[in-house]
This record gives sequence, C-alpha cells and structure tokens, in this order.
Amino acid sequence: MRPSLFLRILSIEGRRQMTYRVDFWINAVLGFVAELAIAYFLWTAIFEASGEERIGGFTFEGMLLYYVSAILIGKLVRGQERHLAVARDIYEGSLNRYLIYPSKYGVFKYAEHLGALLPAMLQGVIFGLTAWWVLPMPDDAGIDAGSVARAAVAVAMANLLSFILRFPIQAIAFWADNVWSLNVMLRLATDFLGGLLLPLSLFPSAVQEALLWSPFPYLFYFPAQTLLGRIDTEEWLRGLAVMAIWSLLIGLVARWVWGRGEKTYSGVGI
Amino acid sequence: MSASGEERQPLGGFGRYARLYLAFLRFSFSKALQFRLDFYFRVVMDLVFYAVHLLFFTVIYRHTPMLGGWDLEQIYVFACGAMLVDAIHMTIFANNMWWLPIYINRGDMDYYLVRPVSSLFFLSVREVAANSFLNLLAAGALVAWALWNHGGFDAGRILIYLAFLALGAFVHYLIRVTFIIPVFWLHSSRGLDEVAWTLNRLADNPHQIFPGPMRWVLVSVLPLAFTVSLPAHILFDGLDGRTLLHVLAVTAGLFAFVVWFWNRALAAYSSASS
Repeated sequence: MRPSLFLRILSIEGRRQMTYRVDFWINAVLGFVAELAIAYFLWTAIFEASGEERIGGFTFEGMLLYYVSAILIGKLVRGQERHLAVARDIYEGSLNRYLIYPSKYGVFKYAEHLGALLPAMLQGVIFGLTAWWVLPMPDDAGIDAGSVARAAVAVAMANLLSFILRFPIQAIAFWADNVWSLNVMLRLATDFLGGLLLPLSLFPSAVQEALLWSPFPYLFYFPAQTLLGRIDTEEWLRGLAVMAIWSLLIGLVARWVWGRGEKTYSGVGI
Repeated sequence: MSASGEERQPLGGFGRYARLYLAFLRFSFSKALQFRLDFYFRVVMDLVFYAVHLLFFTVIYRHTPMLGGWDLEQIYVFACGAMLVDAIHMTIFANNMWWLPIYINRGDMDYYLVRPVSSLFFLSVREVAANSFLNLLAAGALVAWALWNHGGFDAGRILIYLAFLALGAFVHYLIRVTFIIPVFWLHSSRGLDEVAWTLNRLADNPHQIFPGPMRWVLVSVLPLAFTVSLPAHILFDGLDGRTLLHVLAVTAGLFAFVVWFWNRALAAYSSASS
C-alpha cells in the first residue's frame, strides 16, 4: 500500500472517531477520573494497612504515577479494540469490498486502527500534561525527554503487537458466529498479565520471569516503566526485540488462520 | 379444542409476565444449543474472568494483610459474590443490554413498543444467555467454597447474604440501563459504555476503602456498593433495620428513576434510524 493511501485512510478514520464529541468527552473525563480514583483509594488502603513505604518497588506517589502512565498508555496501545472491526467485516459479509481493493486487508485495517487512536492521543496529551502539572514527581520516577522518546517507540511497537495479537482471534469469525467472548478473554488476560490492573513487580518473581517470555508485559508494563525511566537502554532494546519477535510469530499465525478462513468465506454474511 | 392463546384464561399482570419469561427461556436455550462454539467460548470467558478476579486479590494480599478491614478469607467471599452477581447479570441481562443501543440507533424498537407488555421489561430480559447458565453454577460453587473456606456462618445469615446478592444483581442491571438510555439522545453508546465499564470497577472493591463522601455516593446515589460490597458487609457484621430500610428505599428510588428516564427517552424516540 502506498504511504499516501495509508495516511489518507488513517486521517478518515481519525475524523470519524471524533464525530461524536459529547461521547468522546464523557468517555475521556469520566473514564480517566474514575480509573485513577479507584487506583488512588485502593493503594491508599493498601499502603495504610501494610505499613510499608514501598510496595513492589513503588512509593505511593510512584504507584499513582505508574497508574496514570499505564491507563493512558493502555488507551494508546488498544485503540478501539472492543469494536471488533475485522470480525464484523467477516460476519456481515462486508469483507467483500476489501477483497477487491488493490491493497492488503490487514494493512488497510491497521491504517484504520491507527486513525482510531486520535481520541486516545488527545486524552494522552491532555491528561498526561495535567498529571505532570498536578501530581508530585516521586523519587522513584525519572521522566525526561529521553524516557518519553523511548516510551513513544515502545508504545508504537506495543500498539502493533496488540493489533496483531487480536487479528487471529477475530479471524475465527470465519468459523464461529460470535468472537466477542474471545476478545473479552484476551482483554482480561492482557489487563492482568500486561500490568494494567497491577504492576507486574507485585507478582512472585518466578511468575515475573516466566511472563517475560510472553508478549503480555510488553503491552502496558514495559512502555509504562520505560516512560517512568525505570528501564535502561539495554533492557529497552531487549524489550523491543522481544516485541518484534512476538509480532512476527503471531503475524505468521494470523496469516495462516486468515488463509484458511478465506477459503471458507462465502461472502454473504452470517 | 386447540391450545391457542385466545382460549387461555387471561392472567393478571404478574402471570402474564411470568408466562412470557418462560417463553423467552425456552427460546434462548434452544438458540444457544444451535451455536455450540459460541457456547463454549462464553463459558471459558467467564472462567477466565473469575480466575483474574481471584488472582488480583491474591497478588494484592501478598503485600498487605487487610484491605478495607477484610482479611484474605473475607475478600474471597467478597470476590466470589462479585462473580455470582456477574454471572446473574451475564445470564439474564447482558445480551439484552448489548442489543439495546443497536435497536435504539437502528430505529428497530417499534416492534417492541407495540407489545402489550412493558417495553423495558421485554427488551431487558427477552434473551437469556443460556451459555452463561453453566457459569452461574460455577460462580455458585465458588461462593459455596468461599463461605466454607471462611466458616462460621449460620444458614439464616447465608440466606440473607444470597438474597442481598440477588438484589445486588438487580441494582447492577438498573445502573447499566441508566448508562444505556442516554443513547436515545447521544446516538452512540461508545463513551458511556466505557464509562460504565470503568465505574463498575468501583463495585469490584470493598466500599470501605473509599472516603466518606464517595462512600455515600456509592450507597445512595450510584449504589454500586449494593451489588457485592454491602451484601458481604451484612454477611460479616449482620443486618440492622436501618441498613435494610436504606437499601430498600434506594433500590426503589433507582427503579422509579429508571422507569421515568425510560419513558422520557421513549418520548424522544423518533423511530427512524439515526
């Protein structure tokens, strides 16, 4: 696909996502405030009850900053994953029109997926800057231009990994009537094992080590830790390499599943 | 004489609704068995949800002995109660809540508005997720395990707890509908859906961890604490008359609000697809 066409699709999807402005602001403000409030009160209670100054390597302020980072990064990594665009195309038969386009379906959908990130980017800028201004910078965080730049690369890679991870699951729509449950299952697993619900440093060390071989920590935990300046250059490069390998492996699986599914596709919708 | 509807004795309001609900049940179970793969996916999905919920608290309790004044055995009772409420919601209401914004936006509600029963009732319970019924059994077993693991409750207290969990599931449904009804005006459920998903996480934590004003909101305005936290609190500390009256009054108030809000929304419904 030509880069200009890719950018055009991205731009159209971005504008489409911003159509419902009220919807966007309700989601942005209430959603972020509620998530942060839950983290704040939960960790206040935990720090009070434990009597510890640091838990899982985080001070209370550091923990709060971790959640701000993870919540905003989570939005950037996931995009509009709940709307199952690929599965819907298969299910409704609207895949037909993409099959005659002179571009690959996966690349087309990835361009749309990136365009759908526009609301998340706006939220990231607005709430990230607000948090920077309002929250005290704890001793255990070292956010600087370098960590922001490294985190931006990690988020971009995590976004691609997240998209590829969901692709074969959505392609199961060639055989199943409803893949919504599979998508929710993946969301639950990535929330928990990816560090969105809890920082992975709270897990037993054996579990942490085992998880490093999986794609999950690289979705949210790794980019958030990178942003907070807790990942050195060597770890960062290793993390990017692991993400690239997982993207490639899952991409191959997705291609195989898609190829098999296309042969069963009738084009009339289900 | 054939058993046509015309020959049946007309039943009162409740009988008519009960008969209608039995028909919904029959239809939903036969439909679920036609989509076997989805049936299994959904069972596994709920089991993953239960596992994540239990593991979340297990990891937290590696770093603290208490949360909101509850120890690990108590939090397992709380967490398993949350699973039971979720399973009830998934079985009875979830599919209907998924379709409701779609019906509103497509202008497909006309069919339901001309039925001789409450449209809110019809659209809220017409499709029972038979595939989640297995998870209802699994969640029930987990609650039984958590109660046994904690120990020390008599049958009366457990019955009261289960009754409050059932009420909690109803409150959970009322809150969910409250977040869907604005679709009549907003024409999109995306933002509110995300907010409802996020706010629901307030109910996944003991309400004691929240400060006074927020706790008051959770037991009086947006009574998410009724779904799981308050029933667990009643199980551990007993039920007093004041709490009972408060719960009944707030639930009745919320129900009246949802009915009023629904009727206002119907007045704004133009039928045409938007």
